[in-house]
Amino acid sequence: MLQNSWKHYRKIMLLSLCALLVFVGGCSFPGLSGTGKSDKTVRIASVTSTESQIIANIISELITHETDYNTSLVNNLGSSSVSQAALQRDDADIMATSYTGTDLTGTLQLPPEKNPQKATRIVNSELKKRYGQVRYPTMGFADTYAFMVTQETAKKYHLNKVSDMQAHAKEMKAGVDSSWMNRKGDGYKEFASAYGFNFQRVYPMQLGLVYSAVEQGKMKAVLGYSTDGRIKSYHLKVLEDDKHFFPPYDCSLVVNGKYLKQHPDLAKLLHRLDGKIDLQAMQTLNYQVDNNLLEPSVAARQFLEKHNYFRGGN
Amino acid sequence: MSEMGLWQQFWYYMTHNGSYVLEQFSRHFLIAIYGVLLAAVVGIPLGILIARYKKLSATTIGIANVIQTIPSLAMLSILMLALGLGVNTVIVTVFLYSILPIVKNTYTGMNNVNRAVIDTAQGMGMTRMQQLFLVELPLSVSVIMAGVRNALVVAIGNVAIGAFVGAGGLGDIIIRGTNATDGGAIILAGALPTALMAIIADLLLGWAERKLQPHGM
Repeated sequence: MLQNSWKHYRKIMLLSLCALLVFVGGCSFPGLSGTGKSDKTVRIASVTSTESQIIANIISELITHETDYNTSLVNNLGSSSVSQAALQRDDADIMATSYTGTDLTGTLQLPPEKNPQKATRIVNSELKKRYGQVRYPTMGFADTYAFMVTQETAKKYHLNKVSDMQAHAKEMKAGVDSSWMNRKGDGYKEFASAYGFNFQRVYPMQLGLVYSAVEQGKMKAVLGYSTDGRIKSYHLKVLEDDKHFFPPYDCSLVVNGKYLKQHPDLAKLLHRLDGKIDLQAMQTLNYQVDNNLLEPSVAARQFLEKHNYFRGGN
Repeated sequence: MSEMGLWQQFWYYMTHNGSYVLEQFSRHFLIAIYGVLLAAVVGIPLGILIARYKKLSATTIGIANVIQTIPSLAMLSILMLALGLGVNTVIVTVFLYSILPIVKNTYTGMNNVNRAVIDTAQGMGMTRMQQLFLVELPLSVSVIMAGVRNALVVAIGNVAIGAFVGAGGLGDIIIRGTNATDGGAIILAGALPTALMAIIADLLLGWAERKLQPHGM
């Protein structure tokens, strides 16, 4: 009997604990944005990359400055598939950065597509069809893999395009993103056969390291992201992908369709960013944050103030 | 920026992003405070209850002990499955970790009240409520406060991990520092305020603990 009542007590304890947790989970706390679910708060998801956080802050600053909505950032998510999941589970309303290539092969599990317009079309319609998400037109920059060299190397070998490297490839060491090395569809093997040359040796390394590797002369050429701020801080020369080998990673924001329907005013406001951030602008922003110790939110505010919150457009 | 030393970079960062750091500082503090307050609201009555009905104490403290052994990152991930991303998940995490120190200290504090004093109170004709509020609680309040203090300092550390589920706070700055080109200064800008907050919170609650101690003890 006594034994029984203890077990009973334990059960009650655990049950009430669980009930309490669920209750607290739905509460909203004064002074903390992003608690509870309020109609006037827009939740913006972004991943750990500098670029994603800048874009998220630009969206957030635009919304809070131009409307009476509040925003809360769901920051530092591990990957774009996590932020996709956040959108699907209704933990967030806007996904700050969606790259065509990543969404095509990652989220949607479709084969890679080389034609930029076609890829964008597929991703836009599939996201809409499968998850009811609305993908906006590109913000104006594309993040893609690009080969880069130092200015001296470029001058010495007369390098402007990727195919210019062919004549010297045999004496060049190249550092590349380790995840690109063995990728199917657009990895090193396909690259070598498309451009018709191999490097002397290819070193797979962590993406963040390639920029300083080429800057310090440890590598002759490296494969990095075209928008990285370090291209600017190290004065690297980006070689043109003249055979259009690397798939387009046009960057757009994605919004939950249902949310957008309930808030038509937001739908219009977000279109202000269409095509407004070009590659140059994005590189500068990345540079300010990565190199000049500016917080993404500060850089975003300065950027929008400089452009008068894009009131002129649209 | 690379020509500046680490501390120079740190000051440069602070002067350019000061308002942002302050914003995250208060957010961090609020998340920790809300979690601990909730735990106090639940934990102190629970501690009083199990001090009175001793049979329940083993089970209750057992459950609280088990919760405490779960690593915080694992706890956060488990809760994220149920509650989703965002601040609430972190508040619940802080709440769960604060339960044990508060319940245990309340229980210990209540048990350590001298039997003779309670007998005297009964002899004076006090009701049970009067005994609790006029005798037992005042005598054990400093021990209970020590538990709350302990919980808050641990909570401030745990909230920093909450940045992984998108809650914001000073952990956000630390994570950004690990991603930036040369982020040593940014990591410091997140870590130093966190440590400072823990120290200040500890000092303040320590002071409150002494103030609440009844005279003549």
